[in-house]
Amino acid sequence: MTGRQKKQIVDAIQIVLILIAIFIMLVPIIWIFLAAFKNHVDVYQLKLLFTPTLKNFGIVFDAPYYLGAKLINSTVVALVTVVIAIPIATMAAYSFSRFRLTGETAMLVMILATQFVPAVVIILPFFVMFRDIGLLDTRSGLILVNLAIVMPFAIWMIKGFIDGIPLDTEEAAMVDGSSRIQVILNIVLPMAAPGLLTAGIFCFIIAWNEFLFALILTNKDAVTLPIGLALFKGEEGDLWNLLSAAGIIIMLPMFVLALIIRKYFVQGMTMGAVR
Amino acid sequence: MRDNTLKYLLVLPAVLVVFATAIWPLVESLRLSFTVGRLNKPDFPQGYLGFENYTWAFWEEPAFWNSVWVTGIYTVLTVALTTVLALGLAMLLAPGGRLRSGVQTLLILPFAMSPALIGVSFRFMFNPEFGLFDAFFGAVFPPLADISWLAHPQLAFAVCVMADVWGWIPFLTLVLIGGLASVPQETIEAAQVDGASGWRVFRDVTLPQLAPVLAVVIILKSIFSLKTFDQIFMLTNGGPGTATQTLSHYIYFNGMKYGQIGYSASVAWLMVIPMIFLTYAYAKFVFRKAS
Repeated sequence: MTGRQKKQIVDAIQIVLILIAIFIMLVPIIWIFLAAFKNHVDVYQLKLLFTPTLKNFGIVFDAPYYLGAKLINSTVVALVTVVIAIPIATMAAYSFSRFRLTGETAMLVMILATQFVPAVVIILPFFVMFRDIGLLDTRSGLILVNLAIVMPFAIWMIKGFIDGIPLDTEEAAMVDGSSRIQVILNIVLPMAAPGLLTAGIFCFIIAWNEFLFALILTNKDAVTLPIGLALFKGEEGDLWNLLSAAGIIIMLPMFVLALIIRKYFVQGMTMGAVR
Repeated sequence: MRDNTLKYLLVLPAVLVVFATAIWPLVESLRLSFTVGRLNKPDFPQGYLGFENYTWAFWEEPAFWNSVWVTGIYTVLTVALTTVLALGLAMLLAPGGRLRSGVQTLLILPFAMSPALIGVSFRFMFNPEFGLFDAFFGAVFPPLADISWLAHPQLAFAVCVMADVWGWIPFLTLVLIGGLASVPQETIEAAQVDGASGWRVFRDVTLPQLAPVLAVVIILKSIFSLKTFDQIFMLTNGGPGTATQTLSHYIYFNGMKYGQIGYSASVAWLMVIPMIFLTYAYAKFVFRKAS
């Protein structure tokens, strides 16, 4: 066998392996997509050919499931969480990026560490407190605890973006007599805007997919989409066609958002440990 | 305003939020862990017990040790499998080109999926009557054909591990592709010219260069594996029996279902301890990169 033939065989094997990997990766997703358009009877057979129907999407928004209310809750909770988190995180990120602060490393480590505190540890005291002050099953309560998981990501991610903005424009403006606040508003914010948007989308996905907090804190009025999945248990077991339709409603918007910011996903998740 | 004042004012809101949403609950959990803390009784948290909740977990609760054991095996298996498989996939995809870049883009999808939904979809895939994976494994290994995966302790555990690995491989792969890109190509070529085999190049050149990224990936994945809750809850809810009950699930059950906040807070704090070491290790990598 010549070297060239050998290389071709290696390439072919690689392609086959990649295709197998892609297949394994996509099958559970595709299966949900198919089931969402199947009639109840078709779900219970392994067939690929069936008459597609949009009925399931109608059913999940109707009584008794009312997925629309959960969709609104999820959207409001994730959106407000982001709207609160991003400005606060941006201010902190700018300061961490541009100044030397007393206790800076300690603060940064603390912020990093909070990301790794198990959610169950955080939620126990909040549950007790919310029970006492009447914040159980409210969106406000959920937004408050969501800040706990979103803030560390937002601060570290935005700090990474601001670190990448060269200092000279800022310095030139300062020499021309601009104040620090003006510099931040007129120079840094516009330049960091794509980064802020990326961080915002990233945090939106995290808040949208959040499960444990919503499971413990909500039971009726403030239930979010991932918790809503538990609704589709019928007397004869799971209602897979409805579950799949709800699944699509949960994951499709996140797929779109994730594709928009895919370049920054790794950096965001690792908080800059890997770039 | 002088920069010297401003710089502290800018970080103040963030520090306050982190204190209120993370530090306070940590400290309050610690306090509750020393109390009786029954939710369904008046005068919560009903007085202090000292370390009794902790000793109870250690000496009187086989279910606690079961969840420690489940979480430990789960973490070792998911970290090892995800890292090895992701490294393999990253090596396959790193060269680039149209097919490989396309696949890299698709890798985002499972990662944007809510873990709860991953749990649901794997319960679907392993349904004994119409699950696709169930049918596949039944066809490949006939002895497994008539088995109801999620009703069998070891197999249910295996399904949980598979769901976890499936959900995390894409992210780890993307990180490792980034790591591979920073391995200098000249070193690899030089080794190849010297006649080193593909395996030798991988072991002696690529792997050592990749070590820091691998370490970050392993630490990060360990943290997420130790915390696992969402998927388990939707997939098996800890069952059958307690075969797949992780620590997070055990804490959730004792705290929320049985109302034993004091006891579950003590177990939660036992879980914080390994996290401290992992976070310390992780922070070292982050700051080494930063400086």
